[in-house]
Amino acid sequence: MSGKLIVSSSPHVGSKLTTQTIMLHVIIALAFPLVAGVVLYGLYSLLVVLLSVIAAVLAEMLFNLIRKKPQTVSDLSAVVTGMILGLNLPPTIPLYVPVVGSIFAIMIVKMLFGGLGKNFANPAATARVFLLLSWAGPMTRFIAPVDYAALGGKAFLTGLGVDAVTTATPLGAIKNAGLQGIALSDVNLLDLFLGRIGGSIGEVCALAILLGGIYLIVMKIIDFKIPLIYLAASAISALIFYKSGWTYVLPTLLSGGLLFAAFYMLTDYASSPDTFWGTVIYAAGAGLMTVIIRRYGGYNEGASIAILLMNMLTPLLDKITVPRPFGYRKPARAKKEGSK
Amino acid sequence: MRFTFRKGIHPKECKDLTRDAAFETLPVPDKVYIPLSQHIGAPCTPAVEKGDAVKVGTLIGLANGKVSANVHSSVSGVVEGFEMRVNAQGRKIKHIVIAGDGKDETAFLEPLSDPTPAQIIQRVKDCGIVGMGGATFPTHVKLETGAPIKALIINGSECEPYITTDDRMMRDLTAGVLDGIELIRIALGAPKVLIGIESNKPEAIAAMRAGVRAANTEICALKTKYPQGGEKQLIYALTREKVPNGGLPSDVGYIVLNISTAYAIYEAVRLGKPCYARYMTVSGKGINRPANLYVRIGTPLTDVVAYLGGAKEYSKAVSGGPMMGIGMAGLDSVTAKGTSALLLLQEDEIRAVEPTPCINCARCARVCPIGLMPMMTDALILAGKIEEAKKYYPLSCIECGCCAYVCPAKRPLVQSQRLAKKLIREREAGGQK
Repeated sequence: MSGKLIVSSSPHVGSKLTTQTIMLHVIIALAFPLVAGVVLYGLYSLLVVLLSVIAAVLAEMLFNLIRKKPQTVSDLSAVVTGMILGLNLPPTIPLYVPVVGSIFAIMIVKMLFGGLGKNFANPAATARVFLLLSWAGPMTRFIAPVDYAALGGKAFLTGLGVDAVTTATPLGAIKNAGLQGIALSDVNLLDLFLGRIGGSIGEVCALAILLGGIYLIVMKIIDFKIPLIYLAASAISALIFYKSGWTYVLPTLLSGGLLFAAFYMLTDYASSPDTFWGTVIYAAGAGLMTVIIRRYGGYNEGASIAILLMNMLTPLLDKITVPRPFGYRKPARAKKEGSK
Repeated sequence: MRFTFRKGIHPKECKDLTRDAAFETLPVPDKVYIPLSQHIGAPCTPAVEKGDAVKVGTLIGLANGKVSANVHSSVSGVVEGFEMRVNAQGRKIKHIVIAGDGKDETAFLEPLSDPTPAQIIQRVKDCGIVGMGGATFPTHVKLETGAPIKALIINGSECEPYITTDDRMMRDLTAGVLDGIELIRIALGAPKVLIGIESNKPEAIAAMRAGVRAANTEICALKTKYPQGGEKQLIYALTREKVPNGGLPSDVGYIVLNISTAYAIYEAVRLGKPCYARYMTVSGKGINRPANLYVRIGTPLTDVVAYLGGAKEYSKAVSGGPMMGIGMAGLDSVTAKGTSALLLLQEDEIRAVEPTPCINCARCARVCPIGLMPMMTDALILAGKIEEAKKYYPLSCIECGCCAYVCPAKRPLVQSQRLAKKLIREREAGGQK
């Protein structure tokens, strides 16, 4: 006979998947766009993401210390939030910005609302919008990818010592063309796909994002419906709102943070709906809002604001789309009794 | 064509431990402790007194009311008295203690060669047959349904991991199982029989297909997926009909019984043998020699374990399957009619019990075969919001355990559903006062 036995409710067996493993998979998937970003913009961008991660982890530790709660950083979710926020920032951002952003994301958006799983909105998306409003200049200053041919070995030091060349982003071009109501031309789709453009660290290389996204879907970490519906809805919206046929569709999907948002931000567990129809409406609505903001709004980029908007709708969507149980039959309407 | 239902999970099967082990008969124990309540419903009234001589099959406990079942002696010997002992569920109930005399004399009923439906049902009642898959609902109550029956459905899916009892019965006791099924069909007056077997049991499917004689009996290979053996899921897989929420299979014209029950009915009718023994699986990494056994009811679990060479270190003892069975505090109880398996599970086989916060990943909702949202019930019921929890239909939960199986935060989701059921029922009962 053994010593004491565990007596607990059924089931007695379970899958090996834990919260920590899920977060680890997300970190692996985020490494694809991170590597792409560092190759494209130099080591400074690695520093940005690193600082963002460290600040996020320390913020969570500090919060738990102050609140005298057990430490939760080992679930790795703070690392994920830090990474996503870092990858959302331009590669020349002053180093205090990611630190402030991470502290805001973790302390205000995540921990104050009850920690992991309780955040009402995506912490990284909220922090990005917060930073955009606070530091509009640095947050919209983008550089061209480093020119390895011209700089040689020093290329990696771009941003650290070597000055980078600021550049306009494809989003600006799309915005202008959209405002003029003309068809989009002069967009090199291959450059968009490989990330040879200006943009945020993790958002430019569509190839890397897709690889990471496919990894998450294959490992069953994210629901494939969310990116699929979001991308489809964005494409259809681009077709409708730019009124210029197919010319805007692929540039819309491949530019800015849309693709990154599709796989890494919209799929945040806590702030996305739990029901089938809720998920469909959520992802489709986010696609619609992203394109509407880009086309008619004041900003070039609409992905993070669209995510925030749909995050706010998530509790409502979940509430109105509760599925009926198997075999549900409408209860016969009770006859009115008396005249109360 | 593969028959199945929506959602569900694919747990690790772990059936290889015992699937090739033929049944062994456990030696008759010196002393048996027969529980007076081995079924859902009212406990039996003892029909013997201290000092009475009994034989194998002697009626010792009388069914009490409509939903109850007779209990018979599993050894020949002398009644030593009554004892309050814990059963697998952890409740203290009355057991009849019988000291065996080693003679194993039997007192069976008259075998019936050509019974009428009424005779079959009476025999099932007399022999104290209950749902042997583990639910232990008195079988005669099911057979006495007045509803018109379109088909009898036999559950040979055995979707619980580890258990191989029904698999072995279909392979080794094919003729008896099929005869039992035909007797049930006659008793119900059902026009046809559908036997569902998961496709991870190819030998059982082949044996049953080779053995079947009745033309109106169809053997269907089901997709291997848990909970394929759940009544509602099985009916849907085989007929595409949905049992109404809160209703019974007979509401849509079906009756579901499992393989062990069919075999018990065969024995009761053709051999006159009351339900005093059963086939079961003893498995898990904690037992020295996993096996399929034929055991007398009332055998102490310690005897079963000792026969199989004792146990290694283990951290959980389960009566029944690992998905829906009951975790026991020890091996103090005895085998009963519903003991389909005894599992001694080691640390690396069991699910972690320390819950972490819900991350809202919705995996539970994605696998729930009933289409519930277990995470909502869990959060609301733990916050004491009974009325709000009710909006997520916890009363429809079949407690299959899929949600908790996939939960990465290891939350006890089934337990919350049970708590919600209990609190809602209490509130409703209170409201009617």
